[in-house]
Amino acid sequence: MIAALGLLVGILLGLIFQPDVPPSLEVYLPIAVVAALDAVLGGLRAYLDGIFDDKVFVVSFLSNVFIAAAIVYLGDLLGVGGQLTTGVIVVLGIRIFSNVAAIRRHLFHA
Amino acid sequence: MADKPDRRLPEHVTTPLLSLITHQALEEDYRSVAERRAREGAAPEPRRSRVVAGAVIAVFGILISVAAVQNSRNEEVSDAGRATLIERIGESRSGLEDRQARIADLTRENLELSDSLTELATVRQEAVSQMRRLQLGAGYLPATGEGVRVLVNDNPTGDPIQRVTDADLAKLVDGLWEAGAEAIAINDQRLNPLGSIRNVGSAIHVNTFPLTPPYIVRAIGDTRTLQANLLNTTHGARFFSLADQLGFEYSVDRVSELELPAARQRPLSEVVTGTAEQRGDRGVEEDSS
Repeated sequence: MIAALGLLVGILLGLIFQPDVPPSLEVYLPIAVVAALDAVLGGLRAYLDGIFDDKVFVVSFLSNVFIAAAIVYLGDLLGVGGQLTTGVIVVLGIRIFSNVAAIRRHLFHA
Repeated sequence: MADKPDRRLPEHVTTPLLSLITHQALEEDYRSVAERRAREGAAPEPRRSRVVAGAVIAVFGILISVAAVQNSRNEEVSDAGRATLIERIGESRSGLEDRQARIADLTRENLELSDSLTELATVRQEAVSQMRRLQLGAGYLPATGEGVRVLVNDNPTGDPIQRVTDADLAKLVDGLWEAGAEAIAINDQRLNPLGSIRNVGSAIHVNTFPLTPPYIVRAIGDTRTLQANLLNTTHGARFFSLADQLGFEYSVDRVSELELPAARQRPLSEVVTGTAEQRGDRGVEEDSS
């Protein structure tokens, strides 16, 4: 309940204020979103499994976002930003898919 | 590896990468925390950490909406950029078409102008040759050509009445013109339309320049006909009959090459250049004559 409320409030805040992202950080925003999505879906799956823990969720969320952005930043410094972004997206994408599959099993029993 | 079959590698090393990722999709920590909690006995979750989790979710929402907004903004910018570029391409194309049309126009104009240049060059050539003819006839230029030389001298008796006068020379000159002479000079004084033959006292002045006998009249013209024609003209016949009566010494020779000087130029005080139309009319008349 609190989670759904928080998501709604966050989306509304973002739409209302529409903060300007500095151009230097603009590159890391999409990868941060994907990493956050992974953490959120992982949390949702854990919740449905009955093993959700707030502390783990918060830490995994922050570390996911930070590490994903850091990897891309490092890749940019080394001149392989595009390739590393692809790698991160692939790994996170696979995790997202398997988490969503687990959630689906829980919700629809199929 | 083959000689140490007992040695077991850890599972996370032997598992293929993709399978590992799929298996570990759920954070290990959730599981380990749940196990620990089950061992220690379930403790109620503190209310505060629920709020923190909600805040993190809110941050996630902000991230999503900001990324979406940013993306759509960028799209607008690139769309606008593309539209501007397409517009510019259109403008450049129409500009190119205009220029190509202008090239065609200019090429056609060039062609017309070069045609007209050729035409004008022909006209100029004709005008130049006509001008040279007129200059030769008018005594503006020195003239060369075959012709007739007439030598006239006073009666050797020295009688003043039997001297050659301006009228005698004028008759001879008129006769020569009539007979088809194209250029005439008396003692190196070229005759032109403004020239004159006058008696001043006993001396003959041609072009206001005094001459002394013998008088050599040189006329450029067709040597086959000039001499015979001269005798047939009124003035020529009268001159020769007068010369015979008054006992002038005279002789007529054909010369294969005569060189006549240019006439003395008198400044024109009253005549002004005519208009182009008059000149065209005159040119037509001359051409037809």
